[in-house]
Amino acid sequence: MALTFARLKLRVLRNGFRGRPGKVVLFVIGALCALFYGAMAALFFLIPFLPDGPDFGPLVPAFGGTLLVLGWIMMPLVWFGVDETLEPGRFALLPLPRATLLRGLLIAAVLGVPAFGTLLATSGLAIGAGLAGGPLPAVVAAVGVLLGLLLCVVVSRAVTSGFSRALRARRTRDLAAVVLAVLAASLGPLQYLLTSGAQQVGTQRLTAVADVLGWTPLAAPYVVGLDAVQGRWGAVAARLAITVVTILLLAWWWSHSLESAMLGTSGGGAVRVRTATGAPVARFFGRGRQPRTAYGAMVTRELRYWVRDVRRRASLITFAVIGVFLPVVTNLGPSADGNLVASSVHGGSMVLVGALAGLGIANQFGYDGTAYAMHVVSGVPGRTELRARTVAYSWYIVPLLLGLAVLNAVLRGDLLLLPVMFGTLFAAYGTGLACSMHVSVWAAYSLPENQNPFAINTGTGVAKSFLAMAAWLAGMVLALPVLLLVLLGGSVGAVLALPVGLAYAGGAVWLGLITAGDILDHRQPELLAAITPRS
Amino acid sequence: MIEDSAFALQGLVKRFDTKVAVDGVDLAVPAGSFFGLLGPNGAGKTTTLSMAVGLLRPDAGRALVLGHDVWRDPVRAKSLIGVMPDGVRLFDRLDGTELLTYQGLLRGMAPDVIDARVTELLDVLALTDAGRTLVIDYSAGMKKKIALACALLHAPRLLVLDEPFEAVDPVSGAAIRDILTRYVAGGGTVIFSSHVLEVVERLCTHVAIMANGRISAVGSLDEVRAGRTLEDAFVAVVGGRVATGSELSWL
Repeated sequence: MALTFARLKLRVLRNGFRGRPGKVVLFVIGALCALFYGAMAALFFLIPFLPDGPDFGPLVPAFGGTLLVLGWIMMPLVWFGVDETLEPGRFALLPLPRATLLRGLLIAAVLGVPAFGTLLATSGLAIGAGLAGGPLPAVVAAVGVLLGLLLCVVVSRAVTSGFSRALRARRTRDLAAVVLAVLAASLGPLQYLLTSGAQQVGTQRLTAVADVLGWTPLAAPYVVGLDAVQGRWGAVAARLAITVVTILLLAWWWSHSLESAMLGTSGGGAVRVRTATGAPVARFFGRGRQPRTAYGAMVTRELRYWVRDVRRRASLITFAVIGVFLPVVTNLGPSADGNLVASSVHGGSMVLVGALAGLGIANQFGYDGTAYAMHVVSGVPGRTELRARTVAYSWYIVPLLLGLAVLNAVLRGDLLLLPVMFGTLFAAYGTGLACSMHVSVWAAYSLPENQNPFAINTGTGVAKSFLAMAAWLAGMVLALPVLLLVLLGGSVGAVLALPVGLAYAGGAVWLGLITAGDILDHRQPELLAAITPRS
Repeated sequence: MIEDSAFALQGLVKRFDTKVAVDGVDLAVPAGSFFGLLGPNGAGKTTTLSMAVGLLRPDAGRALVLGHDVWRDPVRAKSLIGVMPDGVRLFDRLDGTELLTYQGLLRGMAPDVIDARVTELLDVLALTDAGRTLVIDYSAGMKKKIALACALLHAPRLLVLDEPFEAVDPVSGAAIRDILTRYVAGGGTVIFSSHVLEVVERLCTHVAIMANGRISAVGSLDEVRAGRTLEDAFVAVVGGRVATGSELSWL
């Protein structure tokens, strides 16, 4: 049965490639990247088993494993989405026991480039254990590696489907608030951890952390090889047990959210029909004071869609979370004093987040799907279209960025930094927007019309989200002049940062709008074709 | 003849990968006619109409709307036609009133005109009761009706409708037929695709039958029927399997 699922997955993948050479090329590039980085990581994982390895050798499995598992948790939420080539809902009508379905979907999920790369990377642990301790430790390490892979796959599935269930609920904003509150609350301990870690970067301290990690599911499957080499068989058994129990618990959670995903959400109780009152146009704009034109109408609709559309909501929330997380982590680390390195790390994190904020519109047309046809048949001018979308998006993002800068300034205890932060942040936001605008016109891709906001079509979707990453990078590079002004300009730079940053952002967005807008005018049908899901 | 037709297609071609979906379609739709585009599934009806209204770029050929080339002068041409595409989603997280108002504003109509027309359209199409229900929660028939309303809102001279009667219940279907008949009587031109032959036979003044990406028969309803029923004419033109009664005996 499981074999049937594996064959089905491979068949669907292969058929997706048929007659699309570009997709094949991108897939091959992705596979080569996985091969390269996987091999590099495998070498890295060999370090702890070297006879005269460096001091930090024994720390590698714990920290490396933790990074891997965290990556599998975060990446689908933040960046790539999960590959739902075999969408659970499709199996709803088949008489399959839930356990069989779960096993099948799991196997289908393991067949993929990311899982392959992970396996390759961690295989270094098994090889190393074999070289250092002979066949038995090698087998133990291999079991750990395989269990680790299973853990990674199950955790990413469980987290995305659990999260998407939560996001579908109307109370999402409450959820977002909770997430943010938890993050804010965890800032205190985090700060303590990082600063104390920075004060004594001795191996001892890190060893203590690694020890703790080794007893959590995050690293447990990856340190068993080392244990086996050193003959700690009790620890091996305990850690493997921890891993297996975690996998079972996650699978149980996943199967639960799977069930609700298969039932669908169409029968969400009786829909209360509220009568509409007032003139249509007045009602459409509500209390908004947008102009009563096509531009105003698009701004109003986009404003509503960023809240009503699950995918868009998910992307806003995700950005809010990373936006708070990233600069806080980089700023509260070892760089609390005021030298040039510290301030470049700090300014750099602002540029990073600013450009990332712009990325939210990189697939703005993909969110609309075929509904965009209405704009095409109505002949909406490209510049107006992009301007409206950018304004509506900024309506949500700009306050977020402002709050973020204030939070950072407060945490660093220096409110005088605010103008400089605003300057760099908004300059990068502007350049990020300009680059993302072009990506959105040139490289839009369709999103599957299913319930999981993190689902993404394999192949084109993943490949094109790499382009979004390129836009992020380009946005950061383009914002460098403002960062350099801040870093090297001394007090003059600090004074000029805000006005220059804002003007820079304005210029970048304006240029992006007119160039991308004119291209859009000539690419409307192609864009529509790109965002139409192929069924 | 091309010049005084409301809608003219000349040599439209579209290939997808290696498959030729539309293989040189010429069509002239006379002003004031009620034109039915017939054909089996996969004949290329939707592809043809998409190219004719600016949704899909043709590989060759051109489309003229009241003398304006859809691909050279899209702004003018698009302002003259009302389109109801098939298999296309609407901005369905708006309610019906919001969606129509949005369409009106996109078309650059004046707010007071939008107010009056939206209210009337919803009333005539019996969608007022839906109130603030989001379009995503509408039934299939209601979605068709709201899409039709979107096409009608700016009072175009030409309506291009893809499968307007698909998935529509008899009551809604009658309402749509009624509106379209009145629209043609008022001087408008309608071209729609369908494979519901009864509706076509009842409504249309002209028909064209498409098969395998080409127009196989075209003319006034009587010319195409040539004394037969439309169904017989259709099967004769398209060519189909005639049941002998002996297959599927195990059923």
